[in-house]
Order: sequence, then structure tokens, then C-alpha cells
Amino acid sequence: MHFEVQYNPAHSLATAHLSPGESVRAEASAMVSMSPSLTVETNTGPQGRGGFFTKAKRGLLGGESFFQNVFRASGKAGHVCLAPRLCGSMVVHELSGQRDLLIQGSSYVAAPDSVDINTQFQGFKGFFSGESLFFLKASGTGPVLMNAFGAIEEMELNGEMVVDTGHLVAFESGINYEVTKAAAGWISSFLSGEGLVLRMSGRGKVFIQSRNPSEFGRTVGSLLPARRG
Amino acid sequence: MQFEILDSPDFALLQLRMDTGDEVVAESGAMVAQDGQISVKTNVRGGLMGAAKRKLLGGESLFQNTFVAQADGQRLYLAAPSEGDMQSRDLGPGEEFFLTSGAYVAHIGKELQIDTKFGGVKGFFSGVGLFMLRIVGPGRVFYGSYGALHSVEIGAEGYVVDTGHIVGFTPGLSYKVRPFNGFKGLFFSGEGLVAEFQGEGTVFAQTRDAASLASFLHPFRPVQRGE
Repeated sequence: MHFEVQYNPAHSLATAHLSPGESVRAEASAMVSMSPSLTVETNTGPQGRGGFFTKAKRGLLGGESFFQNVFRASGKAGHVCLAPRLCGSMVVHELSGQRDLLIQGSSYVAAPDSVDINTQFQGFKGFFSGESLFFLKASGTGPVLMNAFGAIEEMELNGEMVVDTGHLVAFESGINYEVTKAAAGWISSFLSGEGLVLRMSGRGKVFIQSRNPSEFGRTVGSLLPARRG
Repeated sequence: MQFEILDSPDFALLQLRMDTGDEVVAESGAMVAQDGQISVKTNVRGGLMGAAKRKLLGGESLFQNTFVAQADGQRLYLAAPSEGDMQSRDLGPGEEFFLTSGAYVAHIGKELQIDTKFGGVKGFFSGVGLFMLRIVGPGRVFYGSYGALHSVEIGAEGYVVDTGHIVGFTPGLSYKVRPFNGFKGLFFSGEGLVAEFQGEGTVFAQTRDAASLASFLHPFRPVQRGE
């Protein structure tokens, strides 16, 4: 199984090429087109890990769909094309089995069965800012496909760095991190508009996105007619 | 008349250079800018009944604008509503091309026909977003996409495309719409349906779709409380 990413940076499309017997799990709304020979199952992860409640939590907290679709090439080779909802880039990170990758819930798109997507890992919760801070932990070996809102920047952390949580896509395990407020006090932090930041230190890869989906949602959403609660 | 598609692939803009008497027909709302010596006629193509049917079935606007150059070297700029790419296709006499109604931007050629009856009924029962226009040459038709335009050659095996991502296809293909057997979320109508293509030809897909953006934005709408 390998991913091919086209049309970066603004309107990326990823094609997962499957040989006979291979499969890929993809975030539920991502399918654009596919070979008709592929079978599609709705699943909750490899080996059905975790109960329904975990899935519901993932959906609610991660901003991600409740389900993943499993595309399987049984008899013959095939492909499935995947795209995120917003404009922006996609990137593939290759897991070597050494370090895990912590991925912001809404940034995850797809991975093969050789990669375990752990949804039990809850990340950070209980913050009042309204920003959904939910991380998936990808481990194992193989490629992980992620999307960004806007462009994606891959950085080598060596030392310390502060990243706005709305701009964070993923970072490697082994990096020390804590979620803190952007300014000194809670009130000034709230007023600064920066919300929560991730204070990271150590060495490893960090992926950030050049736009913040929640900021965009709030900017446009406030102009739309009200919906019924 | 000469044309060039500028700012492709992300924010395509069609630039036409027209000489006296040259004529371009465009979807209403497509005009971005024009030189002073171009006259504009708003017309109801295919008569009032035809246009009404097109509005109801095709989802595209009732009126189209015809631009006629009154002098040489006049420039006309046209754009599609969403960010993305634009392409054109030159059709010979009697040659067909199929576009989803929202993808049509403009055409050149007085004899070019746009038939909205095609796929109308089938589209009506298959949810929003699959009203196909049958374009018959001679002439050149311009079409736009939300996101990149991704073309796929279809062979004997056939191909499956999410209905919200279809831009158009060449003749030689037939399709039927069915629910996607995986989960795709059914928040907005039109999501969760796929078209299964058979035959030989090319399908053009767009890499983003409007329903997905709408479903992203929906939770950010203000909430109406009480009455």
C-alpha cells in the first residue's frame, strides 16, 4: 500500500494504491472515488478495537467522523482517492516502529492495517476554551496520511517551541509537551485570542498547519443564519 | 477570438480576447471584468419554458449573458464561483460532453447546444448534485471545479465517484447512482451517494466538494434559542 499525494498545496488529493490483499482505513467522509473492485466496510479500527462509546468520544472530541471506512483489494489491485473537507495540503509520515506519532483528531486521514490508530489516548480535556484538543496515537510501521488546513510545515524540533493548538497537526512521541495558556493569566489569555498553546521541548518532528480551522469556522459561521439548537 | 486560462490551478480566471462581432455566452454571475466596447445581452436560453425547466432540474441560473464585442481587441474575464481550476473542451459537430450543472462556466459557438433534459429525471431521484447537462458541439465549452480537476481514464473495470465530486465525463460512459456502502455521513443531502460508471471514457472529478465545506461550517452557525 502506498499513498500518492497530488495537487498540493491548496487542493490536495491522495490516492491509496492497493495491491491484492492490502487494505487502507480512511476517515469516513474522505472518499472521492475508487476502483469498483474494492470492498468497503465500515469499521472502528483494526480488530474493532474499543467499544462504541470510544468511537462516539472520538467523533465528538476529535472533530473526526465516528467511523472509518476500510477499503480492501481482495482479488485484484485497485485504488481509492481521498480528500479532506477544507482546502489545504496533505502529507505522508512514515512510521518506522521507533517513535509514535500524536495526531490532532481532525488532521488524521488514512493509514494501512500495519499502523495502529489508538483512540483510547485521550490527550487533553476539560479546558474551557472550546478548542477540541484530541489526539490520536499512531504506532507501528507504515505510512500515515494527514491533512492540513492551509499549507503544512514539517519542522525539526531541537530545543523548545510553542505552537497554537489550532495550528498543530502532529508531533513525534518522545517530545515533552504541556498544554498551557498563551498569556500569563487565564483572562488575558482568553482575550489574546490565542487560546491554548502546546509548549514542547526535546527533539523530533513537528507538523503545523498555516490556518486554524476553528478560527475559520467562527469567522464564517457567525455570518450564517442561526440553526436550531 | 483567443483565450487563456490564467491563475490555474487554484484560482482559475478565463481571459478572452474578442474582435468585432465575437460572441461569448456565460453563466450569469461569471463576469469578473470586461473592456468598454463589449455589449451584454441577458437572455433566457431555450425559451422561457426551457429555462424554467433548467432552473428547476439543472439547478443552474435562469439567465445567461451573451457578450458581443463591438470593437477589436476587447478583453473579457470570467470566473467560476468557487476556488479551483478551469478547463475547456473543443467539441466537433454533433460531439457530446456531459457536465454537472454547477460546473458550466461559458461557451463559444452559436450552434452549441445545452440539453438539460439529459439525466434530469434520473438526477431528480438520486439526490442533489447530479443534474447533468448534455453539451453538443460544435463549439468550445469552459467548465470549472471546486479544487483541482482530476481526470480518470475509465476502462473495462468501470469506476466509482462520489456524486459531489463529479464535474463531467466524456461520451461512451453510462452511470447509475447508488448509496455508498461505507459510511459517509448523511448530514446534507447528496452526501453518501456514488455514481458507478461503466463504459470507456474519461471522468473529471473535483478534489473538494461544497457539501463537505457546508458540513464543516454547520456547527459554527449561531444557535437559535427559544421562539
